[in-house]
Amino acid sequence: MELDYSGLEFKCGIECHQQLEGKKLFCNCLTLNSDKEPDIRFERRLKAVAGETGQVDIAAKYESEKNKKFVYEADSADTCLIEYDEQPPEQLNRQALETAVKVALLLNAKVVDEIQVMRKTVVDGSNVSGFQRTALVAMNGFIETSLGKINIPTICLEEEAAQKIEESDDFIVYRLDRLGIPLIEIATDSSIKNPEHAKEAAAFIGMVLRSLENVKRGLGTIRQDVNISIAKGSRTEIKGFQDLRSIPKVIEYEVRRQLEAIRQNKQLEKEVRKAETDFTTSFLRPLPGAARLYPETDVAPIKITKEYVEKLKKELPALLTDKIEGLENKYKISKELAKELIDNAHFEIFAKKFSKIEPLTIANALTSIPKEIKARFNLDSAKLKNEDFEEILGYLNEGKISKEAIIDLLIKKMKNEKIDLKEYSKISEKALEEEIKKLIEEKPGLSIGAYMGILMGKYRGKADGSIIMEMLKQYL
Amino acid sequence: MNAKPGDRIKITAKDEIKEGILMPNEETESIVIKLDNGYNIGIGKKKVKEIKVIEKYTLKETSPKKDIKTDTKKKTISILHTGGTIASKVDYRTGGVIARFTPEEILAMFPELKEIANIRSRLVANMFSEDMRFKHYTVMCKAIEEEINHGVDGVILTHGTDTLGYSAAALSFALENIHIPVILVGSQRSSDRGSSDAAVNLICAANFITKTDFAGVAICMHESTSDNNCLIMPACKTRKMHTSRRDAFKVVNDKAIARINYDTGRIDFIKKGHGAKENNKRLALRAKFEEKIGLLKGHPNMFPEQFKFFKNYKGLVIEGTGLGQTQVGTPNEITKIHMKNLEAIKQIVKNGCIVVMASQCIFGKVQMHVYSNAIDLVKVGVIPGQDMLPETAFIKLAWLLGNCKKEEVKELIGKNLRGEINERLMQEEFLG
Repeated sequence: MELDYSGLEFKCGIECHQQLEGKKLFCNCLTLNSDKEPDIRFERRLKAVAGETGQVDIAAKYESEKNKKFVYEADSADTCLIEYDEQPPEQLNRQALETAVKVALLLNAKVVDEIQVMRKTVVDGSNVSGFQRTALVAMNGFIETSLGKINIPTICLEEEAAQKIEESDDFIVYRLDRLGIPLIEIATDSSIKNPEHAKEAAAFIGMVLRSLENVKRGLGTIRQDVNISIAKGSRTEIKGFQDLRSIPKVIEYEVRRQLEAIRQNKQLEKEVRKAETDFTTSFLRPLPGAARLYPETDVAPIKITKEYVEKLKKELPALLTDKIEGLENKYKISKELAKELIDNAHFEIFAKKFSKIEPLTIANALTSIPKEIKARFNLDSAKLKNEDFEEILGYLNEGKISKEAIIDLLIKKMKNEKIDLKEYSKISEKALEEEIKKLIEEKPGLSIGAYMGILMGKYRGKADGSIIMEMLKQYL
Repeated sequence: MNAKPGDRIKITAKDEIKEGILMPNEETESIVIKLDNGYNIGIGKKKVKEIKVIEKYTLKETSPKKDIKTDTKKKTISILHTGGTIASKVDYRTGGVIARFTPEEILAMFPELKEIANIRSRLVANMFSEDMRFKHYTVMCKAIEEEINHGVDGVILTHGTDTLGYSAAALSFALENIHIPVILVGSQRSSDRGSSDAAVNLICAANFITKTDFAGVAICMHESTSDNNCLIMPACKTRKMHTSRRDAFKVVNDKAIARINYDTGRIDFIKKGHGAKENNKRLALRAKFEEKIGLLKGHPNMFPEQFKFFKNYKGLVIEGTGLGQTQVGTPNEITKIHMKNLEAIKQIVKNGCIVVMASQCIFGKVQMHVYSNAIDLVKVGVIPGQDMLPETAFIKLAWLLGNCKKEEVKELIGKNLRGEINERLMQEEFLG
């Protein structure tokens, strides 16, 4: 049965967390997220700290009551005393801030006048210090969607948490390599109308993020949390979606779960739940209460001047969707190819430099040919360097080889074999014509396909297949 | 603006209207408010048109119930506070840190202490330890004496870590014949964060006091970066060796007294012959310190003025290089000025300043008969400080000059009084 979301008073907002490239947010470690054998290991405990009213926050208490030991492991290649909570933080990473401000501007938000880094109490051990450093960078943005505007009340810049790798009754083991990677957090308001709409919003925000240069790409580098509630139900935060496609299915499951609980008169609690791979959800912990933030006094506040914002406005990148459309139109290539080339800075450089080659041929050389090399020859084509492509495309541009030779030559490059251009030198059309006449004389009465096979075997890489075909048609 | 920190205010600015709680902000260019989502942001003062107070802040004092009962079977520990770090918590409304010192408040923060001992607690001073002066040592000593007169079984003195080592040495000299344990405890991460090392250090110290017969002054801090073991370290031979790590305190030229396991409470003595309680021992307080004492680090390119500066001081510790040298040799033309350095040192000694040599190597003992520079220094009256830490030598010199005649000072400075000098240095005592 289809659910009527507006009838259910369905409210939904999403939070997107995007990791950034470069250095960590509060130290000079690189964001390698190493998974090598750890050379650092130590144990800690955390205490729940009482808040202003003398009451310990319920989520905080829930964790500390478990009275678990936390075992931390790390590779010293990408962690230092700051991750171990043994040294005060460095000042906020300016490159990360710049990216966050650019994201805010792309999302039509207003950057705050002065940024103050806060400590958000976290006692599950995922932050060695017992808190996550986070700063509100911009407010009151919005995105346009097929079902209208969705507001973006806050855009924050925060530290990524450590990664849980093992849990038992007495202890939890965390890897610290991920801790401190800059994370942009984008939160929408609760105006998302249905599960598909949530996916659309998440996809759009993801696209905006990937339009920027130094955001991380790949598995686990962007994560979505979904907050939902329905009439008579309870607010639930769902974490850990495998991919965008699972968002609508998991939301629908959660709504149905709450409807069932309401039907059975069961008490629903405010909870954080985990999105499971079978699109169900499971209990993680109670939803944290408010008032868990206090100033990070070790980091100086940052004034954001008008001039700074104006400067960054001028440097804003084109949105990915616009870039793809631009490539499609300019080079007359398919959308699929344009999408693949969007991250390849060399495509446009080569297209300009090698003006005698069709852009489509360059596009294929950079995308399909490496795939073919991998699939057909089981070679790691990722090892091909830009200089390799440049060299081979150069020969083609000078007419020294035919485009059929590209794949052979790239393979030679990979194998470090010497390239003898004579082997690939183009046969002149006149010589080719002579050869075709000779062949038909010697072996008359064959099919056009058979002649083609013989000729291609002999001239692969030296003559253009379409030209051979053309000539064959003439003489047969 | 009549709004005060903690008030809920509405700010109307040129391009926005914001509501939140006004935060204290020393800096003048922006107004900082806490938004309802918990974040603080600053709003440029120049563009603010109007600030309206929506709700005045009224402080709700919620002190814990006073229902602490004394358990006669348990020992009594007095916790004396000198600084805010260890007993502080955050006011989440303003973000400020509030110090808490009554026994009720201490037990609310560290409930485990209740299981170990009866707790008395009070504030002696509330300051960063880098601001401490010798007079504060006298104040601490008197407070400890009062607690002893009250019959406590041990004292925990909470202290900022920067000069904790100096204070430990000062107390150990001043509390002559101390017959109870006095343990200095600091923390490198403040108590307002979940990861604070304060609880582990305090609880280990309390366990050590109640479960052993130790008498004397010592330091209790983390042994490693992990929250599992603390070390009890000798007051005069322990130094803060790292700016920020939990295990910043290291024993120099000696061994730790004992190791305490936080999880099990197990105590293992490391050093043989630790100061045990003796029935006939009774505290004799000698808490005077000579104020005019200097500590000078030797370095390349020394000038005579640097030594002459101390001519009206009663004592000076030179933190020399290597085995106890400083720039008084003249091997070539460029070093001619070093003759004047030696002359300056000779002059301040003549003026009545007692000059003691310690080594900036930190580890090892000065040996002033090996190189000619040191031999010349001894000739003009510099006294070798043995294997004393430069900081301990500094405190000891101030204490001796405050309590003894000059001739006695010269004799006692190189003799072991409180474990500050170790006659036999051992293999494992280097960076251990």
